[in-house]
Amino acid sequence: MTHIDILADLNSEDETGFVWTFLDEADDPAVIRPGAVVVAGTPLTPAVCEVIDLIDKPAGTVVHLRVLPGTLDEYRRLLARAGV
Amino acid sequence: MTEPQRDELRQRVRDDEQPPAAARVVIRGGPDTLSLLRAHARRLWRSYQLDGQPVYGISVFVALDDIGPASERGILTVKLQSYPSVYCCTVAAVTAAGFELLATFSRPHFTIVLPDLDSVGSLAAMFGELLVNPYAGRGEEQR
Repeated sequence: MTHIDILADLNSEDETGFVWTFLDEADDPAVIRPGAVVVAGTPLTPAVCEVIDLIDKPAGTVVHLRVLPGTLDEYRRLLARAGV
Repeated sequence: MTEPQRDELRQRVRDDEQPPAAARVVIRGGPDTLSLLRAHARRLWRSYQLDGQPVYGISVFVALDDIGPASERGILTVKLQSYPSVYCCTVAAVTAAGFELLATFSRPHFTIVLPDLDSVGSLAAMFGELLVNPYAGRGEEQR
């Protein structure tokens, strides 16, 4: 099962055009900082994403994510080629 | 204890846009489970209200154009490029199932409004089987 840094519905965009979710859905909120590259989505639909920003709202801190190109499998193969 | 203030989703509806034709394709990256659909619907409920009432909803994309970013291919290639699998149905199927389809935020994003969390079962049945997204990833290998 893929570890997910932050749960999100990668179909869900808001007025920014980015995917959004709540910071309290992160496994470790300290990881979720602007510019960080994280695994987001669900265990069934993980994707590599860039954290764009964190916005405080009355309902909680909203995290905006940019879904980076490629599937997680492609990143796995990249790391294998790189010998990481 | 008072509930947190929610943003008004109606203010994010593209009301200057014609409703999509019945035959237009509705697309959502998957797979989903009923549990995941409930979690996604709750996220919208936590953050938004519709006409002053908390609202459950699920995000989808509608292929509004024949070419370009809001076309079926554009959605599968860009918006849903991280999803090897997708669900597809038509606008007619959404309305026939009794759901409201709201044009929310930026095109071609839409929200399927759910009357309650139990209706995720009907939503999943409406979408049916997963389909392959032939445009997932960036073509590192032949698909």
